[in-house]
Amino acid sequence: MRVRKSLSAVAVALVAALAAGGCGGSDSGGSDKKSVTMWIYPVIADEAKHRAYWDETITAFKAKHPDTEVKVEIFPWANRDQALATAIAGNKGPDVVYLIPDQLPKYARNIEPVDAYLDDAAKSDYHENVAKAVTIDGKMMGAPVLTSSQPLTCNKKVFEAVGQQTYPSTWNDVLAMAPAFKAKGYDITSYPGDIKNTLNLTFYPLLWQAGGDVFAPDGKSTAFNSDAGRKALGFVKQLVDGGYTEKSLITTQPPVEQTRLAQNKVGCVWHAPTSELEQFWGKDNIKVLPPLTETKSVAYGTIGTLSMLKGAQDKKAAGEWIAFVSGADQAKKYDLASNYFSAKKSAGALYSGQPVVGEIEKFVSTTTPGPLHEKARDVQGVLAPEIQAALLGKKSVDQALSDAAKAADQLLG
Amino acid sequence: MVALPAGRTRRPRRPSAREAGTALLFVLPFLLLFIVFRFGPAIAGAVLGFTDYTIGGEAGFVGLDNFRRLVEDSTFWSALRVTVIFTAISVPLSMIASLAMAVLTRRMFRGVKLFRSIFFLPVVTSLVLAGVVFTWVFSEGGPWSQAMGALGLPAGSWLADSVLVVPALVLVSVWSRFGYGMLILLARMQDIPAELEEAALTDGASAWQRFRYVTLPQLRPALFFVAIIETTVSFQVFDTIYVMTGGGPVRSSYTLVYMLYDQGFKYFDLGYASAVGVALFVLTIIVALIQRLTLGREK
Repeated sequence: MRVRKSLSAVAVALVAALAAGGCGGSDSGGSDKKSVTMWIYPVIADEAKHRAYWDETITAFKAKHPDTEVKVEIFPWANRDQALATAIAGNKGPDVVYLIPDQLPKYARNIEPVDAYLDDAAKSDYHENVAKAVTIDGKMMGAPVLTSSQPLTCNKKVFEAVGQQTYPSTWNDVLAMAPAFKAKGYDITSYPGDIKNTLNLTFYPLLWQAGGDVFAPDGKSTAFNSDAGRKALGFVKQLVDGGYTEKSLITTQPPVEQTRLAQNKVGCVWHAPTSELEQFWGKDNIKVLPPLTETKSVAYGTIGTLSMLKGAQDKKAAGEWIAFVSGADQAKKYDLASNYFSAKKSAGALYSGQPVVGEIEKFVSTTTPGPLHEKARDVQGVLAPEIQAALLGKKSVDQALSDAAKAADQLLG
Repeated sequence: MVALPAGRTRRPRRPSAREAGTALLFVLPFLLLFIVFRFGPAIAGAVLGFTDYTIGGEAGFVGLDNFRRLVEDSTFWSALRVTVIFTAISVPLSMIASLAMAVLTRRMFRGVKLFRSIFFLPVVTSLVLAGVVFTWVFSEGGPWSQAMGALGLPAGSWLADSVLVVPALVLVSVWSRFGYGMLILLARMQDIPAELEEAALTDGASAWQRFRYVTLPQLRPALFFVAIIETTVSFQVFDTIYVMTGGGPVRSSYTLVYMLYDQGFKYFDLGYASAVGVALFVLTIIVALIQRLTLGREK
């Protein structure tokens, strides 16, 4: 009986401890100092260099704003949306976060527009396409700090091996050159059709080059099920059916070093970053060309912005930090350190004279970051498998685009 | 000690109120944790299914809209079909493998404990890690495709084939799960009185007859338990698919949980994702009830 009593007492104590643990524990510490937390991702691949850049920037900022503490946290690119979205839902989100236009519409309701925190000179200094890409309902959803561009890049070594003297500038050129590449054991291009790839890099540039678009101008319906869409998908299908691209990439996404792209077996691509190509092709073998043309020459390019979240604890301090980091001088340092391009007109050309990056920089002002639509990613989710179905011969091009449009239009309501 | 007549069991003594109170007190911490971390979120998730909640947004009540959308969504039906096919192949295979390994490791022989441990190892192996390894195994030119080629069968990547991708994922699932079922069945097998088998042996029953008419009926409750667990796990398969196929090719391995993940954490449509979760819950309950009516009707 005594044992039972003791056990009861232990159980009561356990429950009480648990209850107490559940009830207590709020941090009552406070400080008059302002603080800003920013989440960013490996824009500079070398983590030590990236960390050092932000440490230096924080020191420079604190010289002007001694009352503000800044904490910059560098997270991996992978699953960044999941981490951010759940943090926002749990009121644990950062004050400032790095976003690209593709993400802005999804987070729009959580974002504090930055218009009030940037002066007019700073706002008017942005390239037009850059400012447009971060503006939703007339408000700037973030302060751009960098831009990128994905024009056509070709492997000089492969062209020499094939004996091809000229480079392609149109889709017809690509199709005309493809058999010669195949005959010599090379692919004219590669198309990553695995649904994990963003269509912004793979299919949409072709859609835009054919004169099409993803959404109708009013955003209430999709527009890819069009002549331009059929032409773009038909072009890729011709490449796949002809055996001119690595077919396994339509359904799988192996590490890049295991692909023919890395093995110097591919002529040209429009979807791989040059930093990656340099590793496998060598800088000297990269030939940068204007984006391919069907009816027009257009490429994808992204824009890195710093957005303030509505939950920011001290919006004034966060705004000051954003204004400082996105300022022309400071952003220029970041662009040079990360090998990206400036979003500002006043910065001019950062890499003029440099063989690869200097050539790519010429196309920055003509790139597009993809559709700014709240359902852009959802639409990709229904379109990508249908493109895959067409490329695998499970559906015709017409049927695949028609089925995708039907499903996508349902999403748009 | 007086033996009870055959077929009769001793009725447990009814606990006093004081004993019941003490027992409840011990259960209480777990119960609290269960309510807070399991039951509560499950109810909250079900409620979310009736709202248009998106990350950071307001949750407005939308009635049955999400469920209506679900019924009209071809992606849902495709994901449901894939989930059911996966489960229909995976559960019987997993149970057969568990049973076979339990029978093999039932007898005591030198090294049997080592074998049991090795067979259980996949259960405690990270599914993500296993997924990465099996992606290579099933890749074009990988060991599996080479073995298929050697047998004169198509040697392409199973993960890239819209018909073979589910069987490939089932094999991974069975590999990772059979050790758990084996352990449950083995524990039950060792509980079966040796006299039963000895009596059957005396009557001249063959090994198969002893297994079929003595062992298997005794395993019924354990088999029911394993079937329920395997069905639930199969309905919730996600990790390996996420790592190995991303739901492709052409949504051939896109399951309900993958759809739930996409809607919730890729498109942030948590109301709709919750509706998918409710549908999955209902499906699991229905199948579990059917299993109870068939496998578990005696106990």
